[in-house]
Amino acid sequence: MSFAVELQQVSKRFGKQLAVDRLDLRVPTGSIYGFIGPNGSGKTTTLRMILRILQADQGLIRVLGRESGQATDDRVGYLPEDRGLYKRMRVIDLLTYFAHLKGLRDCTAAVQFWLDKLYASDWSKKRIDMLSKGMSQKIQFITAVVANPQLVILDEPFSGLDPVNMNVIRDAILELRQQGTTVIFSTHDMAVAERMCDTIFMIFRGKKVLDGTLDEIQQRYPANRIRLAFDSVETPLPTLPGLVEVERVGRFFEATVEAPATPQAVLARLIEEHSVNHFELIRPSLHDIFVHIAQPEAPLATVAELSSPHPHPHDGR
Amino acid sequence: MTKIFTIAIREYRAMVATKAFLLSITVMPLLMFGSIIAMNLLQKVGGGETRRIVVADGTQFLFPALEAAVAARNDQLHHLHNDTSERGGLGPDINRFQLELATTPALTDEDRLRYSSEIRAGTLYGLLEIPAGVDATPEIDLESLREGNLPPQVSAKFYSVDSSLSEARQFLQVVINKSVKTKRLAEAGIDPLAVELASLPVEVSGMGLVEREAGGKITAAQKKDELSTLMMPMGAMMLMFLVIFLAAQPALESVLEEKSGRIAEVLLGCATPVQLMAGKLLGCVAGSLTIFGIYLLGGYFIAQRVGWIGMIPYHLLPWFIVFQILGVTLYSSVFMAIGASVNQLKEAQSMLLPVWVVKMLPFFIWLNVIRGPNDLVPTLLSFFPPATPTMMVLRLATGAAIPWWQPYLGVLVALAATLACIFLAARIFRVGLLWQGKTPRLVELFRWAARG
Repeated sequence: MSFAVELQQVSKRFGKQLAVDRLDLRVPTGSIYGFIGPNGSGKTTTLRMILRILQADQGLIRVLGRESGQATDDRVGYLPEDRGLYKRMRVIDLLTYFAHLKGLRDCTAAVQFWLDKLYASDWSKKRIDMLSKGMSQKIQFITAVVANPQLVILDEPFSGLDPVNMNVIRDAILELRQQGTTVIFSTHDMAVAERMCDTIFMIFRGKKVLDGTLDEIQQRYPANRIRLAFDSVETPLPTLPGLVEVERVGRFFEATVEAPATPQAVLARLIEEHSVNHFELIRPSLHDIFVHIAQPEAPLATVAELSSPHPHPHDGR
Repeated sequence: MTKIFTIAIREYRAMVATKAFLLSITVMPLLMFGSIIAMNLLQKVGGGETRRIVVADGTQFLFPALEAAVAARNDQLHHLHNDTSERGGLGPDINRFQLELATTPALTDEDRLRYSSEIRAGTLYGLLEIPAGVDATPEIDLESLREGNLPPQVSAKFYSVDSSLSEARQFLQVVINKSVKTKRLAEAGIDPLAVELASLPVEVSGMGLVEREAGGKITAAQKKDELSTLMMPMGAMMLMFLVIFLAAQPALESVLEEKSGRIAEVLLGCATPVQLMAGKLLGCVAGSLTIFGIYLLGGYFIAQRVGWIGMIPYHLLPWFIVFQILGVTLYSSVFMAIGASVNQLKEAQSMLLPVWVVKMLPFFIWLNVIRGPNDLVPTLLSFFPPATPTMMVLRLATGAAIPWWQPYLGVLVALAATLACIFLAARIFRVGLLWQGKTPRLVELFRWAARG
């Protein structure tokens, strides 16, 4: 397997703050690679180092086969987290300008293709300061992809978008992957990451805490959350040893089974006394895993342990 | 190079294809030459009222002379409305005067108070009190006069709310002195015309230098007037200041927009900081040459209309353009570095203060430069790189014989300084563009420039 981006033991410090700590990651070519992590965890710093806008203090960064280079790489497209466009330029002029800067001289067809694709053709003659926030974001997205880059880095591409525009951008990203483009994007939306990413990478306090496919990540966390229902809606959930974090969700109960109890033992006890008509094991969602890892009060030592083989998202912390 | 030109074209369009550009190239000369233009405008559109002045003539002799002079002045004002080119000895006040004799030639304090009240109420403009005997020849023996002793002066008094600056006061004073002088000369048995003839001044004309043409013929020197001597260097200095300012300021605003508008990060993914800066500088130079071209055409058109076409210093144009390019590049790179270091225009303005002081140096001494373009201070300042473009052009515009090598050395000095400035500014630019913290102090800027 070839990799579009490889980082080995990469660190970055700002003054006394260690923003990124000995990070390793490999982004398979032609995949969608999701960056997740709470605010200030080092996502943007890592993306900027991949882009070489920031220089790493140590470690090796290889982007599209090159170990060193400048931020200026026409093979890489970038949508930064902080959006910004020349307010007094017309959309068509702005897109042409960025396409030219990215080395695509004959860009008329590409610009029109992307404007059509993102339903923005009617706005091509408007000035940027006339656009809505969502439309500006779509135009900025086009600036990142118009020159047909091999690698696209999108920092929070969905933030501030309504569901319709979100779907438009999501479809565009999925299409890029189909064409063989490698896409790295960061997001706070776990549902989006689950649905779109081939590989998910989580960084917390500058350290890598998750890296793998959704399946691989979920398998590292045991399915110890249960959802059940009784024939009678009025039946209360009996108090059983090992059953914690009980919640009523509609006609269902959801609860976490704490060791040494097991879901099977809990089910056996319940069947003895009640008429159970629904019982399922819930796999931890990416949201659960994220929240579990990114506890604000998580001690540093715990962060270091997070890459241990079987951490538990519902261990009652 | 393609990216540099792409950036340059955008910067040029952003600078020139705006209403703000048209407004600034119109407004800036108005601001700089505003006082002269405003004075002329006021003289044309203002005034028109009649100012009443009461004269208490204790001499019983001067009033007719004053009345005649005022009538002549009013007549001249009437013609001025029809022909604005003939200003004669008129000052900025173009109101008519109307003289009236006071009820009594010798005023009491009560009279003065009454007239003062009228002046305060605005029904009267002024009161001229001429005491008796003011026209008499002072009695003093000639020996004492030769020793430098002057006879006691009897003065007339003019009362008005603006008496110290009043043009009416100055006008009436001239008439009184002329009339009194004529009377005293006549009393002494001297023909006033003979005195006037004897007092005719000998003019010492200011001439340009004599030159030998290519064919060997020696050309006659041209007479120099005050207008060309003062206005040409001042105009060249102002124009240099304008073209630099009008190009460097948009450069700062452009960088600031890219930084505060979060465009810089995307741009750095498209072009290197050096390419970005080079493109912007190229755009600035192109923009400033456009401004120069517009002013040059405008100036040529006006000169043709008013008959000053012969005053256009064609020999100065190549030097002006060379120094303009250097000056624009130098100042734009500094402005860009500052724009990249701050987050708001307000912060940039305070950091630009020292740059402005240096930029304004020629303005502080321009009159001295015109009087002595080859003096030590002007010469030294014209090799001080931030002042070189303006100072060297100012010196050349005086038409004085600047040693031939000095403009060339000035170009070299300015070029070296510009290149160094671009190099250091590019380092600040690169760090500053992504700097989002507090505004760096000057020391930190120097550190960025040193370390890169």
